[in-house]
Amino acid sequence: MEIDSWHRKSLLGLEELSADEIGCILKQASVFKREISSPDEQSRYLKGKRIVNLFLEPSTRTRIAFEIAAKSLCADVISISGKSSSLTKGETLKDTAMNIKALGADAIVVRHSSAGSPLFLSKTIDVPIINAGDGAHEHPSQALLDIFTLQENLGSVAGKKITILGDILFSRVARSNLWGLTKLGAEVTLAGPSTLVPKQFEGMGARVSHDLRDSLADADAVMLLRIQHERQSSSHFPSLAEYTTMFGLNMARSQWLKPDTLILHPGPINRGVEIDSELADSPRAVILDQVKNGIAVRMAILYLCATTEND
Amino acid sequence: MTDYCLTGGRIVDPSQGLDEIRDLWVLGGRVSFKGNESEVERMDVSGKVVMPGLADLRGHLREPESLASASMSAAAGGFTNILIMPDALQTLDNPGAIRLMQENITRHGTICFSQCGCLTMGSRGDKLAPLGSLKEAGVVAVSDCPNSSQNTEIFARGLEYAAMFDLPVIEFPRDLSISEEGIAHDGPTALKMGVGGYPRMAEELFVQRAITVSRNLGVGIHLTSISSGGAVDLIREAKSKYVPITADTTAHHLALTDAQILGYDTNAKTMPPLREDEDRQAIFEGILDGTLDCICTAHEPCHEHEKQVEFDLAPPGVLGYETALSVVYEELSNTGKDPFGLIARLMSETPRRILKLSGQGIAEGEAADFLVFDPAARWTYNPRDAHSKAKNSLFADQELKGSVDMTFALGEKVFHRE
Repeated sequence: MEIDSWHRKSLLGLEELSADEIGCILKQASVFKREISSPDEQSRYLKGKRIVNLFLEPSTRTRIAFEIAAKSLCADVISISGKSSSLTKGETLKDTAMNIKALGADAIVVRHSSAGSPLFLSKTIDVPIINAGDGAHEHPSQALLDIFTLQENLGSVAGKKITILGDILFSRVARSNLWGLTKLGAEVTLAGPSTLVPKQFEGMGARVSHDLRDSLADADAVMLLRIQHERQSSSHFPSLAEYTTMFGLNMARSQWLKPDTLILHPGPINRGVEIDSELADSPRAVILDQVKNGIAVRMAILYLCATTEND
Repeated sequence: MTDYCLTGGRIVDPSQGLDEIRDLWVLGGRVSFKGNESEVERMDVSGKVVMPGLADLRGHLREPESLASASMSAAAGGFTNILIMPDALQTLDNPGAIRLMQENITRHGTICFSQCGCLTMGSRGDKLAPLGSLKEAGVVAVSDCPNSSQNTEIFARGLEYAAMFDLPVIEFPRDLSISEEGIAHDGPTALKMGVGGYPRMAEELFVQRAITVSRNLGVGIHLTSISSGGAVDLIREAKSKYVPITADTTAHHLALTDAQILGYDTNAKTMPPLREDEDRQAIFEGILDGTLDCICTAHEPCHEHEKQVEFDLAPPGVLGYETALSVVYEELSNTGKDPFGLIARLMSETPRRILKLSGQGIAEGEAADFLVFDPAARWTYNPRDAHSKAKNSLFADQELKGSVDMTFALGEKVFHRE
């Protein structure tokens, strides 16, 4: 297998990866995707390795996908959720991590509401750390599976126009996708209300638009993000109803899209808020493909990180 | 008491109109320029600068720091008079707390400590503290720093009431309604990192509030820890209209930007946050043109375990006493002009004037209260073998320019670098 360009033990975000490194993960993911579809060939690459899923924030898709990915590689998987961890007893993240290391973890997959916590862990303990979402910072495995899905449908993403619509300010998915897509040569437009899509995102290489029609018109793919109404103070926009009225993607507005424009959503979907139910189930929506691809992509991430030798 | 003769040093004290190379004696704890060759300990300080002891307008006496370690840390940085903010080991909002602190100062302090009482009870902003009684118990100023009374009526009444006792009010300008969950400056760096929430606006709105209240009531206010370029502009304009305000910034806001928080270093979490280079430059200009009157340390010790957590959960605050002078010296050296007269005004003379402290600087017959600074020295600040009990510095393991060799306070030599 060609993993020459991969030398990292941890995956903390896409900002720090080169286009080659991103390509390396995606290539490995397609190998695993083929293997999954032929069940006789079970990969045993992580046999005997212990992967700990440390999920300190609620998650369904990501946690299950990492579990299935690890099990598909024959690793032992232990999942710890926020409520069952000692963090609720006042233990610090540092101590929790050092204990997990002492218990013999070969890699830790971490989801945490604090931006930067995977980096903090990687500096604290010498165990591969895989970021499964940290605050509003990054969610690299989600962006990689999004890009993988885009590539399956569009071929290369280079030169393609991708619009990410919704709550960008609080979105780690948007940030990781922005880094990944721009490194691979895509043109990314961030769209949504001005309070959730500040102009300063232009400094990160994106086009910023508050005009829905303009941002949809020539997109090759539209990635919708959930409005994280539980996360924000109510001051960022008047109400969910107002958001849906002004920025929701409904059937009428889908006419502004090119006929073959793909619709992606990282989930969980709020049907009738950011997207019409009918549209979410339409053939152009590849939302469940994203979920399926999430397994192969996470197998690739676990495989690459957990088998990188120490220098 | 040992007598000393410091020979060959350059003595800089603009309050005395002094800037010359001459010998200086400390006889019986007092400064003299006309000593004799009798029994004194002679110290060659040629090539070094003798300046009045520094005075700080903002330091938080928090665990793990004690009065003894704060004394040592301050003395090692050339500070001979530090102001303890009201969020001290005990909250300074009642005369009993002030008297208890004063007893501990008498017992453990080796330099001068001044106390800053609360402006409002518990610095909660909803009820005025007994300012007159606090003054009688010994405070030299009142403040809610690092909080700010969000209720403008209470803030304005407090100012008016404190003025009756000639009690300076130090305002830490922060509009919480727009920054309550803020952990970093809202700029491109924080946006990328997925943090932020403490915009310039939060400071500027309350700087404007202070200016408006000061102008309308005709009473002075001191604004502390200015971090935003826009706030510097507001203060400059207000001063041009003779509004009786004064203001300081911190040594780290003069030297550093929010680039420090990249990598989520919790020791780069300051209050207020570090901002962008345009802010830093505006602060620099504000220092040079007199818009900003002084520089404080904002010394705020934290336990190591408090800082070794997720970025958003770590308390803000950084150490300052032992590094401030070197940091300011390096920054102000970049102007190409000799900085010592300006430093003496920014870090000694003006803070003392704002707090209405007695003391005459380096003058015949005055108690020895000065420092000896070696501008040619290069040294690496290592918090592990420094004097503060805390380690949360922005300048850890960095080479700094110019070092404090010796500090005299209250007539005694309180620090001598090995």
